[in-house]
Amino acid sequence: MPFVQTRRRLLTDLAFIGAAGLGGVGLTGLSYSGQSRASERPPEITTIRLAKSPIACLAPQYVAAELLRIEGFTDVQYVGLEGDIGKRGIPEMIGRDHIDFSMTFAAPMLIPMDAGEPITALAGVHVGCFEVFGHEDIRSIADLKGRSVGIPYSSSSPHTFLTIMTSYIGLDPTKDINWVITSPVQPKQLFIERKIDAILCFPPETQELRARKIGSVIANSAQDRPWSNYFCCMLVGNSEFVRKYPAATKRVLRAILKATDLCVSEPKRVAQLMVDQGYAAHSDYVVQMLSELPYAVWRDYDPEDTIRFYGLRMHELGMIKSPPQKLIAEHTDWRFLNELKRELKM
Amino acid sequence: MIIRSVPVLVFIALVSLIVAGPHDIRDLAASHQQLPRIAPAPDFMLTSQDGAQVTLTDFRGKVVAVTFIYTSCTSTCPVLTPMMSFVQDQLGRDFGRKITFVSITVDPERDSPQVLKEYATSFGANLSGWSFLTGSPAAIRDVTRRYGAVASKNVNGDVDHTFLTSIVDQRGVLRVQYAGVRFDPGEFKRDLVSLLRER
Repeated sequence: MPFVQTRRRLLTDLAFIGAAGLGGVGLTGLSYSGQSRASERPPEITTIRLAKSPIACLAPQYVAAELLRIEGFTDVQYVGLEGDIGKRGIPEMIGRDHIDFSMTFAAPMLIPMDAGEPITALAGVHVGCFEVFGHEDIRSIADLKGRSVGIPYSSSSPHTFLTIMTSYIGLDPTKDINWVITSPVQPKQLFIERKIDAILCFPPETQELRARKIGSVIANSAQDRPWSNYFCCMLVGNSEFVRKYPAATKRVLRAILKATDLCVSEPKRVAQLMVDQGYAAHSDYVVQMLSELPYAVWRDYDPEDTIRFYGLRMHELGMIKSPPQKLIAEHTDWRFLNELKRELKM
Repeated sequence: MIIRSVPVLVFIALVSLIVAGPHDIRDLAASHQQLPRIAPAPDFMLTSQDGAQVTLTDFRGKVVAVTFIYTSCTSTCPVLTPMMSFVQDQLGRDFGRKITFVSITVDPERDSPQVLKEYATSFGANLSGWSFLTGSPAAIRDVTRRYGAVASKNVNGDVDHTFLTSIVDQRGVLRVQYAGVRFDPGEFKRDLVSLLRER
């Protein structure tokens, strides 16, 4: 994968050589007088709503609060995942206009996209937040055959990722896995009590289970291919918001990507801020998470690859009807990301 | 003749690119890729290490790197300023004449012009091309925010701030920003020098 990324960047660079050779000055001039400068207007709207979730890897969007204010948003709101709509998940909250933007899991978001929810992916943010834990005699995903695997509810994010992961190595997730719906109890609790054999979880649960030496990690999406080649969390916005408010959209993206860089350069400060503001209970777990997850890859990995990869798997499995190319055409907008990749270096 | 020579030139160009290798191609691409024009850079009026009033407009005609530091910072500022000092030395005769650095303190209560001057000297800053600026807390807060950085005093009296280094071109247009302190000094230098080649 690193080679693929290098090759992609190389091709991009070559495209710029071509642009320079075929009138690069004109191209740059167009960029300045067109979208770029327009995007530097004040935000068309000064209230912004983001999701508040217990998942710690969403750190950039919490750290971004002050940066959003600097970008001109006077009212920055964090909306909890509560009520019926909250249970349906972050993408639905965005699509139904309960929030404007949020980081969310790449694969699960394709289901509401496929269902026609008006949501638009704007950028990949980081790789590697989910891990699969099993008890002692489970050493690989293949060992999950015939075992009880806890999920909060059907079509939840852990269910979606695990369905893809088990089918990827040849298991039939509908027949080979004994899915245990644990709601209202968290799967982690049943796993600790050894009432289920395996779970997939996210930070800070991953750090907690490892610290408490409960079970062992059988798959780590930050390290194990192919999962480590693709974003697990992407930034998604309400499609209508993105269309109506391009300046505000670019400013939101810039604030969250700057905050993502802060997660790389200032992990202790970010962790303390998360604890101080009530987004995390243990600073140590957040520091550990920030050091383990590749937050620096948003410039290098192609977010479209992530949608194509998960989209193909999910399409094959019948989890979505649309082919990935349709989802990419109708539910992504990389203009702002491409501008920011050139404007904001690290 | 022209028609025949075009494929030959394309072939020669492709062979050259293959022989050059990815690293050289990247450099070649970077040298042809102009930095984006983001927006007019926020102007400011602050006080230099010598007590003089300084505005961004004073540097019109030069490429300017604007960054934020504070002198009692013990964590990451001591990474950024030596790195910029290293780039200063790499720029040779262009430094001061065509390219200047501006380091703005985010701790104006403690960083007087005299304190800034001592700090600059300790890091080998060439003050003919590098200004260290302070001002009223309100002015500092304003310029910090307008460049998109965050700074606030914590309970210990230290300043929590984000690191953001901005490159402004000869016409006062903000062209690129570097987040953090561990960016590539080679790329930073290339970006500064690339603006000198623009017409």
